[in-house]
Amino acid sequence: MNVPSEHLLFLAAGLFAIGVLGFLIRRNVIIVLMCIELMLNAANLTFLAASRQHSTAQVANLDGAVFSIFVILVAACEAAVGLALIIALFRLKQTVEADSLSEMKG
Amino acid sequence: MGGTWLLWFIPLLPLFGAAACGLIHFATLAARKHDANAKGPSGLAPVVACAAILGSLLLSIAAFKQLAGLAADARVIESAVWPWIHVGSLQLDISLVVDPLSAVMLMVVTGVGFLIHVYSAGYMKGDPGYAKFFAFLNLFVFSMLMLVLSSSLIGLFVGWEGVGLCSYLLIGFWYEKGWPAEAGQKAFIFNRVGDASFLIGSFILIKLFGTLDLSDINTAVASVSADPANAWWLTIAALCLFGGCTGKSAQIPLFTWLPDAMAGPTPVSALIHAATMVTAGVYLVVRMNPVFAFDPTVLTVIGTIGALTALVGGTSAIFQRDIKKVLAYSTVSQLGYMFLGLGSGAFAAAIFHLVTHAFFKGLLFLGAGSVIHGMHDEQDMHKMGGLRRHMPKTFVTFMAGAAALSGLPLLSGFFSKDEILAHTFAHGGFYFVLWGIGIVTAAVTAYYTWRMVALTFFGKERFDHHHVHPHESPALMWVPLAVLAVLSVLGGALGLPPVFHVVHVLEHWLEPVTAPGHALLAANGTHELSHAMEWALLGLGAAIALGFAHFGFRTYVKGVEQDESVQRNRPALADFLVGAWKIDAQYYAKIVYPSKLVAFVTAVIVDQFAIDGLVNGAGGLATATGNRLKLLVDGSLKSYALWIGAGAVLLALLWMFV
Amino acid sequence: MAEILFYVLSAAALLFGLGVVLAKSPMMSVLSLLGSFFCLAIIYLLAGFQFLAAAQILVYAGAILVLFLFVIMLLNLGEMGAIAERSNSFLDSTSARIGAVIAVGMGVVGLAAASRAAFQPVRVEPGTGLDGLEAIATELFGRYSLAFEAASILLLATIVAVIALAKRQRRGLKDGGRA
Repeated sequence: MNVPSEHLLFLAAGLFAIGVLGFLIRRNVIIVLMCIELMLNAANLTFLAASRQHSTAQVANLDGAVFSIFVILVAACEAAVGLALIIALFRLKQTVEADSLSEMKG
Repeated sequence: MGGTWLLWFIPLLPLFGAAACGLIHFATLAARKHDANAKGPSGLAPVVACAAILGSLLLSIAAFKQLAGLAADARVIESAVWPWIHVGSLQLDISLVVDPLSAVMLMVVTGVGFLIHVYSAGYMKGDPGYAKFFAFLNLFVFSMLMLVLSSSLIGLFVGWEGVGLCSYLLIGFWYEKGWPAEAGQKAFIFNRVGDASFLIGSFILIKLFGTLDLSDINTAVASVSADPANAWWLTIAALCLFGGCTGKSAQIPLFTWLPDAMAGPTPVSALIHAATMVTAGVYLVVRMNPVFAFDPTVLTVIGTIGALTALVGGTSAIFQRDIKKVLAYSTVSQLGYMFLGLGSGAFAAAIFHLVTHAFFKGLLFLGAGSVIHGMHDEQDMHKMGGLRRHMPKTFVTFMAGAAALSGLPLLSGFFSKDEILAHTFAHGGFYFVLWGIGIVTAAVTAYYTWRMVALTFFGKERFDHHHVHPHESPALMWVPLAVLAVLSVLGGALGLPPVFHVVHVLEHWLEPVTAPGHALLAANGTHELSHAMEWALLGLGAAIALGFAHFGFRTYVKGVEQDESVQRNRPALADFLVGAWKIDAQYYAKIVYPSKLVAFVTAVIVDQFAIDGLVNGAGGLATATGNRLKLLVDGSLKSYALWIGAGAVLLALLWMFV
Repeated sequence: MAEILFYVLSAAALLFGLGVVLAKSPMMSVLSLLGSFFCLAIIYLLAGFQFLAAAQILVYAGAILVLFLFVIMLLNLGEMGAIAERSNSFLDSTSARIGAVIAVGMGVVGLAAASRAAFQPVRVEPGTGLDGLEAIATELFGRYSLAFEAASILLLATIVAVIALAKRQRRGLKDGGRA
């Protein structure tokens, strides 16, 4: 594939912006969580673009790839905990609306 | 004295005594928790304290005897050395040394100290701080002994500060009354000024000689003359050390704390502010006599200050009504005499006067204390009179002290004062002026002394017979008085003038110590008086003392009319003299009040307004900002997310474009 | 050929992403996310990361999204969520509009940052994987072994946390299982 790394980054920026958009405007906490996954994927893409950029034909630079693996791992953990929280929240409030969460008043 | 370590016990016994008395005081306080009037074990305190001083006295006598048994040029006993500060090339050790000079001081401090301890046991009886008083008194004796015995200037300074501390504690002993606490602070602050000067002098000496060992310094002085710059520094050092003496020994310009120090209990005045502590300056000058004798200018300064102090102190005593104030100004004046003697190069004479003064002024203070005790704490002489019938023992002993102080012939004060004046006269030149001042002061001294005696013990009884019943003091108090009276009368035997063709015991004894200073002075020519001249001076001294003593006694034996007429006809003069030449008032006007003003301005305007304003303003700003900002924190998850997002965008822009 | 495929997949990934955000029902969001992840997985493959592509499919599509589906079905949010939110527009509230502005700003910043980078051109042929299993294993168990072990602890902690959070309280049972 002969695509410049910039274009990978453009895609990552677009995905990230979409994730932020969803994160900020959606009130359903489950969808907010999905948007976080989307943003994490955008981050993964930049890691991989960097890894690819710094590899030569002879030597592969896999730092970015390893970071991606860890990001996927953290994303899995985050999704599991987040969903558990949502379940607990639903038990408590019978809703998954983010606007109903206003306990964090300073 | 078997081993040299025994020497340490001379100062340490009082220190242990002080610790024991302190414990007794705490035990007393504990006992008072249950019963406010409980005495607890406080009765033990004087026994412990007196025993400690007695032990020191006996050891001192032993040391004295051993010293006397040695050859004249080998009269030094050194103690074991305690290494104290070893930094680089600077080696400061603390060790004790007894030589003829410190032996004399030892006898005075422990001897007079013991008598005053015994007296205090009677005087302070019933005071709530009975044990505490003895703890302080013992601590004072410890410090004074360290001062006297230390072989180095730094050890001497430790004692120097220690006596200052004890002086502060004892002046302010009745701090509940308020003004004694202030007097204590005044004494402490004045001494601080002098001590700063003392320290600067010590630093210069370290710079010059690299050591603070007194005997090393004294021998090193001889080698300084080669280098003019060093000689100049040595002069400065001597003047700085003398500055320390003016603070401790109440000389112009730092003498005004001493009259105020009379706020302390009378035995304190006798021990600290007459017999021992205030003479520390005299001791220092004699101890380091080569340093001071090195430059004749320094001695002239010392002599001038001494003479002026003698005059100011003596004249200030004339119209005092408080019996202790008379004695306080008299002490200032007599200390001036000692410094006049030092300034004339008469080191032995100054020590002689120091010793006799310790006897008769200690006696007078204790006698005054006995009077005050018998008069139910009345100190105003205008409210006394005729007491000789009520307290005969006090009267007789007080007379002996007064006679010695005023220099009546053949008493101790006569010989010691006359010796100083003779040396001053012999110096000639500018010293004639100083001698003149000394003679005038001698006349004044005789006058105020007998005024005091007349007002107190003679004339009509001016006190209220319904409320005041004068009574003789108990044996615990008058026996020390009697001992001191004997010493005051016979003390002159220590230093009979050359015309009597007997050995001047004290001068001969001190010869090894004063020799280096005399050797330096001899380079500028020696001064000898003919026998005829000495007879003339002795006669003049005797005539002036007798004449003015008679004049003072005659004037005041009738009553207080003379004081009242002066007060009426010459109020300015009376004010001027009672206020000690207004020097203290000048201090207050020029230093104390401006300082207080600056302090007030700093406290109210700078601190409360500016600094507190800044601090409170910072806090207020944070609170106000927080109050506004907390409106943003509405607790909604969404708004937090929005803020985080906005912040992230701004940060990214910042990194990209700035 | 591969380049064209990349751009087509990119566009699809972005569209699916928008679908996640704009879908009315949570179920549709999950399915859109699944589509987006598949597109990304193929892009990884094209970029030469075979292992990552597999992991993306297995972990994201296979595990995480299934978890999302389970939760949505468990809570029976399929329709309810859509009804709760005002379906015609997500941009009616001020905060949503601000959020949109921020999102656009973030996208612009990202694009600008990416376009400012001046990379050397790289060329990776399809099928020539950069992250061979051996190579990635060497990295993971070599230089990153400590992080790898730490990750296992993170997973364990997550398991404990999830169980603690999601399990029913005893009292809840007594109350008649209100949840």
